[in-house]
Amino acid sequence: MSRICLVCQNIDCKSRGSEQLMTELQKRVAARGLEDVEVKPYMCFGACQEGPNIVLYPEKNWYAQVKVEDLDEIADHLAGGPHVKRLDTIDSSLKELIYQLLDTGVL
Amino acid sequence: MEGVLFPRGVAEGREGLKAYVARGGYQALAKALKRSPEEIIRLIDQAGLRGRGGAGFPTGKKWQLTREATGEPRYLVMNGGEDEPGSKKDRVLLENLPHLVIEGTILSAYAIGAAKAYLYINARYDIAIRSIGDALAEAKAEGYWGENILGGNFSLDLEIFPAPHNYVAGEDTAVLEVIEGKKPLPRQKPPFPVTAGLFGKPTSVNNVETLANVAPIVRYGAEWYRKFGTAESPGTMIFSLDDDVNRPGIYELPFGTPLRYLIEECGGGMRGGKKIKAIMPAAPSSAYLPPEKLDTPLDHNSMRAAGSSLGCGVVRLVAQGSCIVEEVIKISEFFTAESCGQCPACRMETNTLTALLKKVQGGQGGPPVLEQFGKIIAFNKGKGFCNLIAMPGPPIESALKLFPGDFEAHLATGKCPVQ
Repeated sequence: MSRICLVCQNIDCKSRGSEQLMTELQKRVAARGLEDVEVKPYMCFGACQEGPNIVLYPEKNWYAQVKVEDLDEIADHLAGGPHVKRLDTIDSSLKELIYQLLDTGVL
Repeated sequence: MEGVLFPRGVAEGREGLKAYVARGGYQALAKALKRSPEEIIRLIDQAGLRGRGGAGFPTGKKWQLTREATGEPRYLVMNGGEDEPGSKKDRVLLENLPHLVIEGTILSAYAIGAAKAYLYINARYDIAIRSIGDALAEAKAEGYWGENILGGNFSLDLEIFPAPHNYVAGEDTAVLEVIEGKKPLPRQKPPFPVTAGLFGKPTSVNNVETLANVAPIVRYGAEWYRKFGTAESPGTMIFSLDDDVNRPGIYELPFGTPLRYLIEECGGGMRGGKKIKAIMPAAPSSAYLPPEKLDTPLDHNSMRAAGSSLGCGVVRLVAQGSCIVEEVIKISEFFTAESCGQCPACRMETNTLTALLKKVQGGQGGPPVLEQFGKIIAFNKGKGFCNLIAMPGPPIESALKLFPGDFEAHLATGKCPVQ
């Protein structure tokens, strides 16, 4: 199974630059040769106030309030580097709900 | 059947001032102005009038809270934003019985001590707006509203306010935002409008049908009113039937009338002689009932006991041979489109429910997908500024409970089991 990076593209995250984040993350993933990683849009994680939100799956890492300058660290994490702790601020019950949804494999 | 609002239980054309006065119209106003506002509130409380906009909140209590709240001036808002799919009761009342609605509005303003009332009407209802506009001119000429009504001390200004036609614009606090010149976005509550409503002042927001009940109660008394309906839901309610039945229309029935009577006697049964698969007593946001519940009385308590709700009386039917998955997708898409988007939880819930339903429709995923619906709905319960977040839940969860086979068939084949 390939790995995915879901970048929220709903209105709040978009208004905070998530479209650019998605394009920039795709570039960084390509630059690192991570062919098994797909960067995809997602409809809404329900954490708009802490957007833009990016979720890595199946790793189940959720990065909130992501800025362009954070993307290298996120891409490094995907390439085997350390988890970016300072961006991991989302409530665990919301994480659990979203991860269960992603586990169904349909979204 | 005799009604409180429509003399014969069905709408029969526009009633002008002359005809309304000939059957006792505006007598309630003359009577009320000789009594104290507190007495009118007590009377409405004794009659047991409950809001007809969907929540069924006791009207007398709402008025009392508004009257007792600190702050001047107080406002009354008649909520005719009506944008529920299939609901047309408020439009018909505004078009056909404008003076009944206006007299009720004046009485309500007197009871809460408001000097200004806004008549908030769906902007698409041009006939209703014209009807109310004409009636306002007629009533003002007779001194029923304006300065020193009927020569007394009470003065009231009335103003029509066109409402944007989207679902959320009918939510009480979104109504207030619109009148204040802002976008139709619900406010976080508390504070409730009764304490801090329009321009931050105590405000009572009442549905058109609720206000239409006020003049008859004041004219004939609480005891007369309680001859209709049940002890906890006194009076009558207007129910809307769409073209699922042979005779679509709106029907005024006493609370407690069996659902079967509405569908079979009033509506003439399902169109095309079809059999009923499911009933939604308060479309689009109530739980479905199976046909075995057709004898459930149409009142708040009975509907709750049966597992559904009464809402604002838009009764929809699903025919046997229809797929419930397709039905709930339409409902879920409606709430996704109508969610105003300001609350993250609502945005996530409505989008996710619709996306998941579409995956089920297309046969993607297995039984674990079906388990997600309840989890999403439970997670978001009580979140959000308004009640829209609670609306997709009952249709989806009841559909899953009553007709699991339809969902399983979609998952198994990716096709609709009935097509």
